[in-house]
Amino acid sequence: MTFKENLESGKFMVTAEVGPPKGTDIKEMLHHIEVLKGKIDAANVTDNQSAVMRISSLAVCQIVKENGLEPILQMTCRDRNRIGLQADLLGASVLGIESVLCMTGDHVSAGDHKAAKPVYDIESVQLLQVVDGMNNGKDMSGNDLQGSTNFFQGAVVTPEANPLQPQLIKFGKKVEAGARFFQTQAIYDIDKFKTFMEHARQYSTKVLAGIVVLKSAGMAKFLNNFVPGITVPDELIEELKAAGKEKALETGLNIAARHVKQLHDEKICDGVHIMAIGMEDKVPTIMERAGLL
Amino acid sequence: MIISKKIDRKKLLETIKDYNSFFLVGCSECASLCGTGGEPELEELKKELEAAGKKVTGTFRAKTGCQVLGTKVELKPFKDELADTQVVIVMSCGAGTQAMVEAFPDKPVYPSNDSLFLGNMTRFQMFDERCSLCGECILEQTGGICPVTNCPKGLLNGPCGGTSNGNCEVSPDIRCAWVRIYDRLEKINRLDDMKKVIKAKDWSKSQSPQVLSARPKKEGKKTK
Repeated sequence: MTFKENLESGKFMVTAEVGPPKGTDIKEMLHHIEVLKGKIDAANVTDNQSAVMRISSLAVCQIVKENGLEPILQMTCRDRNRIGLQADLLGASVLGIESVLCMTGDHVSAGDHKAAKPVYDIESVQLLQVVDGMNNGKDMSGNDLQGSTNFFQGAVVTPEANPLQPQLIKFGKKVEAGARFFQTQAIYDIDKFKTFMEHARQYSTKVLAGIVVLKSAGMAKFLNNFVPGITVPDELIEELKAAGKEKALETGLNIAARHVKQLHDEKICDGVHIMAIGMEDKVPTIMERAGLL
Repeated sequence: MIISKKIDRKKLLETIKDYNSFFLVGCSECASLCGTGGEPELEELKKELEAAGKKVTGTFRAKTGCQVLGTKVELKPFKDELADTQVVIVMSCGAGTQAMVEAFPDKPVYPSNDSLFLGNMTRFQMFDERCSLCGECILEQTGGICPVTNCPKGLLNGPCGGTSNGNCEVSPDIRCAWVRIYDRLEKINRLDDMKKVIKAKDWSKSQSPQVLSARPKKEGKKTK
């Protein structure tokens, strides 16, 4: 069963990330794929994450696939115009990549090529429309495709955006544009997330909650101060502090596992997307502690 | 108006180092308001060139420097000063500089300013970019605030995930364009406008180089 079939059948999904490296040495990445294989349902392959130049998402998706794990192709609109995006979508389709996550992409000012010209010919909502069109045999100009795509397309949402209302309107537009699943920005306050889910449940789409492991109280404070749309509640910061430096990571893993378990057991959403940021080998640990393995 | 900024003087002096005599052309429109091509700036550059041992044969402030024919007519009284000069330095925008290139086919014409953007003057000599001249206005759908210009990603369908307390992830000094649009639409009771998906833009509408004839059709060239 594929990620799409499982998710649509109502099974609780676990996805994680495979981050393409900067350079041609892929040993560590292959190790991460090996660790995740057979444990998670699919792996997102990031697309020049944080606007930092790396191996292309499409190439790594193929490697992930060859190594027995289902990839979710992350596509941003920052680096390619509509011709490039559609060409890569057709390429992904013939490589047998089924799931694609449509995003606008971090601005080049966040990355390591700040003098680059950002493209943004189209953006996330319009990219979803493009994928929907290609699934129906048409390119963006309305030309017939010789063979249509069959993508399962998703999008992202920030449940704790501040202010929230404009973000919720955009969420609705993404569903209208064809988003069949969402993977969210990291969430740490399950009660607040429940409120978001009450809104999301008005739509016929699946939601995987974003989980980012807290490695220390310092990291939690960093997220609060510098990463838009993420709020780590004070009690979690206290919990990490109380654990002391040596046990902070263990505590962070426990917090992640606790959240995953609650989201699963209370059927709050349709799955989780665990962004381990370099600690992919800890993803199975989180799943075990959450009772999912 | 077209917002311009003075080119670094060292760079300008390097550009003109092979020449000795100069005629300076300013502009009464945008460049005067920007403080880059009005009377004080003409005088200032004249003094700087003279201090560098150069000769300034004359200075002139065009009424509208990008109005090619009118500026050529205005330049007629400066025949002698222009005959004496090796180089014309234009202190307005890139359009003004190229108007002078047309007026002086046999002399080097150099800009003294970088042209930055189409903007509004919010306070004295403070400017904000407001319009990207995209050729396909969508202000009627966005509460009159342009996301093509005011959002660094030019998003057309709402904010990205980088909004932080209503500010932009690219710079906390920028208010999120889509938060501004949301607030404005709410105030004018048009929030439903934001719920409609805005389709991908037709960038061919802003493809350079553009020409336009606003003359009545029988006289004019083909318009786009």
